[in-house]
Amino acid sequence: MEDIFEITREPIDKSGLEQRLLTGAAGAIVTFDGVVRNQTRSRAVISLQYEAYVPMAVKEMRRIGVEIRERWPEIDRIGIIHRFGELKVSESSVVIVVTSPHRRIAFEACHYAIDRLKQTVPIWKKEVFEDGEEWVEGEPIKNEE
Amino acid sequence: MDENKIRVTILLFGACREAAGMSEIECRFDSPANAADVWAEIKSRFPALERFERSSLIAINEEHASIDQGLKDGDTLAIFPPVSGGEF
Repeated sequence: MEDIFEITREPIDKSGLEQRLLTGAAGAIVTFDGVVRNQTRSRAVISLQYEAYVPMAVKEMRRIGVEIRERWPEIDRIGIIHRFGELKVSESSVVIVVTSPHRRIAFEACHYAIDRLKQTVPIWKKEVFEDGEEWVEGEPIKNEE
Repeated sequence: MDENKIRVTILLFGACREAAGMSEIECRFDSPANAADVWAEIKSRFPALERFERSSLIAINEEHASIDQGLKDGDTLAIFPPVSGGEF
Protein backbone atom coordinates (compact mmCIF):
# COMPACT_ATOMS: atom_id res chain seq x y z
CA MET A 1 0.00 0.00 0.00
CA GLU A 2 1.28 3.45 -0.81
CA ASP A 3 0.43 7.09 -1.47
CA ILE A 4 -2.01 7.93 -4.28
CA PHE A 5 -1.70 10.74 -6.84
CA GLU A 6 -4.20 10.73 -9.68
CA ILE A 7 -5.83 12.96 -12.29
CA THR A 8 -9.19 11.76 -13.53
CA ARG A 9 -12.11 12.76 -15.69
CA GLU A 10 -14.48 10.68 -13.52
CA PRO A 11 -16.23 11.84 -10.33
CA ILE A 12 -13.90 11.45 -7.35
CA ASP A 13 -14.70 8.62 -4.95
CA LYS A 14 -13.81 10.36 -1.69
CA SER A 15 -14.64 7.60 0.77
CA GLY A 16 -13.00 5.10 -1.58
CA LEU A 17 -9.80 7.16 -1.47
CA GLU A 18 -9.92 7.26 2.33
CA GLN A 19 -10.39 3.50 2.49
CA ARG A 20 -7.53 2.86 0.05
CA LEU A 21 -5.20 4.89 2.31
CA LEU A 22 -6.17 3.46 5.67
CA THR A 23 -3.57 1.31 7.34
CA GLY A 24 -3.82 0.16 10.91
CA ALA A 25 -1.24 2.82 11.82
CA ALA A 26 -3.63 5.74 11.29
CA GLY A 27 -5.58 7.29 14.14
CA ALA A 28 -6.76 10.30 12.12
CA ILE A 29 -7.89 11.01 8.59
CA VAL A 30 -8.07 14.64 7.45
CA THR A 31 -9.81 15.13 4.11
CA PHE A 32 -10.01 18.35 2.11
CA ASP A 33 -12.74 18.37 -0.52
CA GLY A 34 -12.70 21.29 -2.95
CA VAL A 35 -16.12 21.72 -4.56
CA VAL A 36 -17.52 23.97 -7.29
CA ARG A 37 -19.13 27.09 -5.83
CA ASN A 38 -22.30 28.54 -7.37
CA GLN A 39 -20.97 32.09 -7.65
CA THR A 40 -17.75 34.04 -8.04
CA ARG A 41 -17.33 37.82 -7.79
CA SER A 42 -21.15 38.06 -7.56
CA ARG A 43 -21.69 36.25 -10.86
CA ALA A 44 -23.68 33.03 -10.98
CA VAL A 45 -21.49 30.07 -12.02
CA ILE A 46 -23.06 27.28 -14.05
CA SER A 47 -20.02 25.03 -14.25
CA LEU A 48 -16.24 24.99 -14.16
CA GLN A 49 -14.07 23.50 -16.88
CA TYR A 50 -10.77 22.14 -15.62
CA GLU A 51 -7.85 21.53 -17.93
CA ALA A 52 -4.72 19.68 -16.81
CA TYR A 53 -1.23 19.07 -18.13
CA VAL A 54 -1.71 15.53 -16.89
CA PRO A 55 1.78 13.99 -16.73
CA MET A 56 3.32 17.10 -15.18
CA ALA A 57 0.40 17.54 -12.78
CA VAL A 58 0.91 14.01 -11.45
CA LYS A 59 4.66 14.69 -11.07
CA GLU A 60 3.99 17.89 -9.15
CA MET A 61 1.49 16.16 -6.88
CA ARG A 62 4.09 13.49 -6.11
CA ARG A 63 6.54 16.26 -5.30
CA ILE A 64 4.06 17.72 -2.78
CA GLY A 65 3.95 14.26 -1.20
CA VAL A 66 7.74 14.31 -0.86
CA GLU A 67 7.64 17.80 0.68
CA ILE A 68 5.02 16.68 3.20
CA ARG A 69 7.08 13.68 4.26
CA GLU A 70 10.13 15.89 4.74
CA ARG A 71 8.16 18.28 6.98
CA TRP A 72 6.03 15.74 8.82
CA PRO A 73 7.82 12.36 8.77
CA GLU A 74 5.14 10.82 11.03
CA ILE A 75 2.46 11.12 8.32
CA ASP A 76 1.16 7.68 7.39
CA ARG A 77 -0.43 8.09 3.92
CA ILE A 78 -1.16 10.91 1.44
CA GLY A 79 -3.72 10.82 -1.34
CA ILE A 80 -4.52 13.52 -3.88
CA ILE A 81 -7.03 13.10 -6.71
CA HIS A 82 -7.81 16.02 -9.03
CA ARG A 83 -10.60 15.89 -11.55
CA PHE A 84 -10.65 17.60 -14.95
CA GLY A 85 -13.31 18.22 -17.59
CA GLU A 86 -16.63 19.94 -16.93
CA LEU A 87 -17.82 20.03 -13.31
CA LYS A 88 -21.20 21.16 -12.05
CA VAL A 89 -21.92 23.13 -8.88
CA SER A 90 -21.19 21.12 -5.70
CA GLU A 91 -19.10 18.50 -7.52
CA SER A 92 -15.61 17.84 -6.15
CA SER A 93 -12.68 19.13 -8.18
CA VAL A 94 -9.97 17.97 -5.81
CA VAL A 95 -9.82 15.67 -2.81
CA ILE A 96 -6.80 15.48 -0.52
CA VAL A 97 -6.57 12.85 2.19
CA VAL A 98 -3.84 12.71 4.82
CA THR A 99 -3.68 10.04 7.49
CA SER A 100 -1.48 9.98 10.56
CA PRO A 101 -1.27 8.35 13.98
CA HIS A 102 -2.48 11.62 15.61
CA ARG A 103 -4.65 14.43 14.27
CA ARG A 104 -2.56 17.60 14.48
CA ILE A 105 0.00 16.87 11.78
CA ALA A 106 -2.70 15.48 9.49
CA PHE A 107 -4.51 18.85 9.65
CA GLU A 108 -1.26 20.74 9.02
CA ALA A 109 -0.14 18.53 6.17
CA CYS A 110 -3.54 18.61 4.46
CA HIS A 111 -3.63 22.43 4.63
CA TYR A 112 -0.09 22.57 3.23
CA ALA A 113 -1.02 20.19 0.40
CA ILE A 114 -3.93 22.27 -0.93
CA ASP A 115 -1.94 25.52 -0.73
CA ARG A 116 0.99 23.98 -2.62
CA LEU A 117 -1.29 22.32 -5.15
CA LYS A 118 -2.67 25.71 -6.13
CA GLN A 119 0.85 27.06 -6.61
CA THR A 120 2.65 24.29 -8.42
CA VAL A 121 0.27 21.85 -10.10
CA PRO A 122 -0.51 22.77 -13.74
CA ILE A 123 -4.29 22.70 -13.75
CA TRP A 124 -6.43 25.59 -14.96
CA LYS A 125 -10.07 26.41 -14.63
CA LYS A 126 -12.54 28.29 -16.74
CA GLU A 127 -15.68 29.68 -15.17
CA VAL A 128 -18.82 29.25 -17.23
CA PHE A 129 -21.49 31.88 -16.52
CA GLU A 130 -24.96 32.27 -18.00
CA ASP A 131 -23.68 35.05 -20.23
CA GLY A 132 -20.13 33.99 -21.04
CA GLU A 133 -17.00 32.25 -19.81
CA GLU A 134 -13.63 33.27 -18.40
CA TRP A 135 -10.32 31.59 -17.62
CA VAL A 136 -9.21 32.14 -14.05
CA GLU A 137 -5.74 33.62 -14.31
CA GLY A 138 -3.33 34.34 -11.51
CA GLU A 139 -5.92 34.20 -8.79
CA PRO A 140 -4.15 35.10 -5.55
CA ILE A 141 -4.02 32.22 -3.11
CA LYS A 142 -5.12 34.48 -0.24
CA ASN A 143 -8.48 35.01 -1.93
CA GLU A 144 -9.09 31.30 -1.72
CA GLU A 145 -8.95 31.10 2.05
CA MET B 1 19.05 18.09 -42.66
CA ASP B 2 20.86 20.97 -41.04
CA GLU B 3 22.54 19.59 -37.93
CA ASN B 4 22.29 22.91 -36.15
CA LYS B 5 18.49 22.79 -36.21
CA ILE B 6 16.62 21.46 -33.20
CA ARG B 7 13.03 20.28 -33.16
CA VAL B 8 10.85 21.40 -30.24
CA THR B 9 7.25 20.50 -29.43
CA ILE B 10 5.34 23.41 -27.89
CA LEU B 11 2.26 22.73 -25.78
CA LEU B 12 -0.27 25.44 -24.97
CA PHE B 13 -2.78 25.34 -22.14
CA GLY B 14 -5.81 27.21 -20.86
CA ALA B 15 -6.25 30.74 -22.14
CA CYS B 16 -3.04 30.45 -24.23
CA ARG B 17 -4.40 27.38 -26.02
CA GLU B 18 -7.64 29.16 -26.82
CA ALA B 19 -5.88 32.32 -28.00
CA ALA B 20 -3.75 30.31 -30.44
CA GLY B 21 -6.59 28.01 -31.44
CA MET B 22 -4.38 24.95 -31.03
CA SER B 23 -2.77 22.96 -28.27
CA GLU B 24 0.40 21.68 -29.93
CA ILE B 25 2.91 23.25 -32.31
CA GLU B 26 6.06 21.74 -33.83
CA CYS B 27 8.90 24.22 -34.41
CA ARG B 28 12.48 24.09 -35.58
CA PHE B 29 15.10 26.45 -34.24
CA ASP B 30 18.74 27.22 -34.89
CA SER B 31 20.78 25.90 -31.98
CA PRO B 32 21.41 27.28 -29.40
CA ALA B 33 17.84 28.27 -28.60
CA ASN B 34 15.86 28.96 -25.45
CA ALA B 35 12.29 29.77 -24.43
CA ALA B 36 12.72 33.40 -25.46
CA ASP B 37 13.29 32.18 -29.05
CA VAL B 38 10.16 30.05 -28.76
CA TRP B 39 8.16 33.08 -27.65
CA ALA B 40 9.44 35.13 -30.58
CA GLU B 41 8.41 32.38 -33.00
CA ILE B 42 4.94 31.70 -31.62
CA LYS B 43 4.12 35.39 -31.25
CA SER B 44 4.86 35.88 -34.92
CA ARG B 45 2.62 32.94 -35.80
CA PHE B 46 -0.12 33.77 -33.29
CA PRO B 47 -0.18 37.48 -32.44
CA ALA B 48 -3.00 36.84 -29.94
CA LEU B 49 -0.45 35.16 -27.68
CA GLU B 50 1.50 38.36 -27.15
CA ARG B 51 -0.54 39.45 -24.13
CA PHE B 52 0.41 36.24 -22.29
CA GLU B 53 4.18 36.57 -22.63
CA ARG B 54 4.83 38.45 -19.39
CA SER B 55 2.50 36.46 -17.17
CA SER B 56 3.00 32.96 -18.55
CA LEU B 57 5.20 30.29 -17.10
CA ILE B 58 7.09 27.58 -18.88
CA ALA B 59 8.01 23.99 -18.31
CA ILE B 60 10.57 22.02 -20.27
CA ASN B 61 10.02 18.26 -20.38
CA GLU B 62 7.45 18.54 -17.58
CA GLU B 63 9.69 20.47 -15.19
CA HIS B 64 9.27 24.14 -14.29
CA ALA B 65 11.95 26.10 -16.15
CA SER B 66 13.29 29.61 -16.63
CA ILE B 67 13.06 31.57 -19.85
CA ASP B 68 16.81 31.35 -20.53
CA GLN B 69 17.15 27.60 -20.09
CA GLY B 70 18.65 26.05 -23.22
CA LEU B 71 16.64 23.71 -25.44
CA LYS B 72 17.77 20.43 -26.95
CA ASP B 73 16.49 18.54 -29.96
CA GLY B 74 13.29 16.67 -29.05
CA ASP B 75 12.40 18.82 -26.03
CA THR B 76 8.80 19.58 -25.13
CA LEU B 77 8.17 23.10 -23.93
CA ALA B 78 4.84 23.88 -22.28
CA ILE B 79 3.51 27.41 -22.01
CA PHE B 80 0.81 28.19 -19.52
CA PRO B 81 -0.86 30.96 -17.60
CA PRO B 82 -0.14 31.04 -13.86
CA VAL B 83 -1.91 28.21 -12.09
CA SER B 84 -3.31 30.14 -9.18
CA GLY B 85 -0.99 32.29 -7.12
CA GLY B 86 1.22 33.10 -10.06
CA GLU B 87 4.16 31.67 -8.17
CA PHE B 88 5.78 28.38 -9.05
